Amino acid sequence: MLDLFLQGAEAVFTVQMLGLLFFGTVVGIIFGAIPGLTATMAVALFLPITYSLSASAGIALLVGLYIGGVSGGLISAILLKIPGTPASVATVFDGGPMMEKGEGAKALGVGIFYSFVGTLLSIFALMFIAPSLAKIALAFGPHEYFAIAIFSLTLIVTLSTGSMVKGVFSGVLGFGFSTVGIAPVDATTRFTLGLTELNGGFDILPVLIGLFAISEIIKVAEDVKTEKRATATVVKLKGFGFSVKEFFEQGWNMIRSTLIGTGIGILPGIGSGTSNIVSYMVAKKQSKHPEKFGTGIIDGVIASETAACSAVGGAMIPLLTLGIPGDTVTAMLLGGFMIHGIQPGPLLFVSQGPLVYTIFIAMLVSSLMMLFAELFGVRVFVKLLAIPKHILLPIILVLCFVGAFGLGNRIFDVGVIVFFGLIGYGFVKFGIPQTPFIIGLILGPMAETNLRRGLMLSDNNFMDFLTQPISGSFLGLAVASVVWHVYKTHSHKAAKVIASN
Amino acid sequence: MDFIKKRETAVGALFLVVGIGYLYLTSTIVRKQFIDAAFVPYILACTMCLLGILQIREAFKLAAAKQSGKHDTADYRTVWKTLGLVVAYAAFLEPVGFPLMTVVYLFAQFIVLTPSDKKISYPVYAAIAVTTSVVVYLTFRHAFDMILPVGLLSSFIE
Repeated sequence: MLDLFLQGAEAVFTVQMLGLLFFGTVVGIIFGAIPGLTATMAVALFLPITYSLSASAGIALLVGLYIGGVSGGLISAILLKIPGTPASVATVFDGGPMMEKGEGAKALGVGIFYSFVGTLLSIFALMFIAPSLAKIALAFGPHEYFAIAIFSLTLIVTLSTGSMVKGVFSGVLGFGFSTVGIAPVDATTRFTLGLTELNGGFDILPVLIGLFAISEIIKVAEDVKTEKRATATVVKLKGFGFSVKEFFEQGWNMIRSTLIGTGIGILPGIGSGTSNIVSYMVAKKQSKHPEKFGTGIIDGVIASETAACSAVGGAMIPLLTLGIPGDTVTAMLLGGFMIHGIQPGPLLFVSQGPLVYTIFIAMLVSSLMMLFAELFGVRVFVKLLAIPKHILLPIILVLCFVGAFGLGNRIFDVGVIVFFGLIGYGFVKFGIPQTPFIIGLILGPMAETNLRRGLMLSDNNFMDFLTQPISGSFLGLAVASVVWHVYKTHSHKAAKVIASN
Repeated sequence: MDFIKKRETAVGALFLVVGIGYLYLTSTIVRKQFIDAAFVPYILACTMCLLGILQIREAFKLAAAKQSGKHDTADYRTVWKTLGLVVAYAAFLEPVGFPLMTVVYLFAQFIVLTPSDKKISYPVYAAIAVTTSVVVYLTFRHAFDMILPVGLLSSFIE
């Protein structure tokens, strides 16, 4: 392990890698800070640049964008009281009031420090959990992979949605789109509508760019003409703005938020956008003075920022060990891996050990860069918040088109991003969650291929999926998560009826 | 029928239409045995249809009390114009070429998205559009070896 660690460090500490990491982290912070732009969009936008880079350099750039993008949201959350990304929604609850009370510098300092701590601790969790998990996953066969794919699909549906029907449909539709092209095992061509470009199925990246970036730009067009621009006040930071006593007082809040963030990050499909709110709610519930939450106390900022950023390391665990993205940005990163011909999964730790450790070290370095860039560059970021959206968004769309085109040098992929952009906008308008779609699209082939392989191994006996301990447990958990969600929804409805009567 | 009920019913109908369409396409796959390339798609198609029926049922059960007082304040004229520009940009990117089409798209999109309280500055928009197109084209062409379509400018650009 130490050997791999040193190899990773050697790869990262070069001028090119450090430069790319710094660039990625700073651009990520800018994307995180500007409301309407997200870390997912930043990664989508910079994917074409990684085509000409080596695998480790390209992934280091994307990792920098991810870490900067998740943390950057705190700047606008505190200064504008508008969350820059979904990861900083709960930061507004106390960061905003702190700013109003004249404690903006302290809120920013606390937010920056604890987003660094959250990221750092989650990377340590990643470094210790991922290799062990990968070792276990090496023993997995088709039965286990099928069960994990189904478990992940049901989990994302039950955890991330209001309407279960819409969530399931979104996941099933994504799965459906993954069946386009040549079928696994018997190589039958399906659903290509005579288009040879579809023989290989839909590439994940144009779909992701369309679904998340293009649809977001169209959504912004809904109110960009009437939007009132909030102006950010420049605050002067002096250190982190909190005392050593306060640091120790917040010790448990920090640890609990890290555990919540990392845990939520590990779950497939949900990440920082959920962890910051869950952590804030738990911190408020467990606090001795819950009434003070929302009035401008550092407890709320710490709970939100630590959990949001610790989801970063958590989300990388299933991505690297099983090839299952932990959230939308890691889904994009999965595409980045594939561009360089790397298939994340347990074998990655065996065949590309140095690359895995290069990613770990790159993440550590990027989190440090994020800390210093936010601490010393906050004035610059505030100025960037003033860039008009009606200029910025069309330029981003152009870069998304270039990214899609560059993937295979074919105009077909440009059509794909527009098509999925329209689907994504439709999802937003009809309240259908997008994440299950992506998880369905990514895990669909994994589920189908392993189902068919498993059935071949067991002479078409479905019972083998239930009788094998690991696959049986995961399928049992999948059923349990659905039953729990249905029960929760019905008991909630029943409570409402009783209340209304 | 209130707006939300109508919308939710429409969503259910859409699910059903997609499910039936997918089922039809699945039925065109040549069957080889019970577990073959059509097996999983049949399961997915049936699930989609079932979800469509469930969604319509849920929509009909929606209480009138759930009617939202909120108005949809979205500016759909700008959305439609943006959609039109995006589709046109994708459609003409190859025949017209990236450099020219990007200038046209950016210039038009800046105008469409300019907030109502701001004055449209044609020279500034044109300058930003041209600069962006040139910088993006040259960067990707020379720094990243990406050959973007040049279309009408093919005789002027290598």
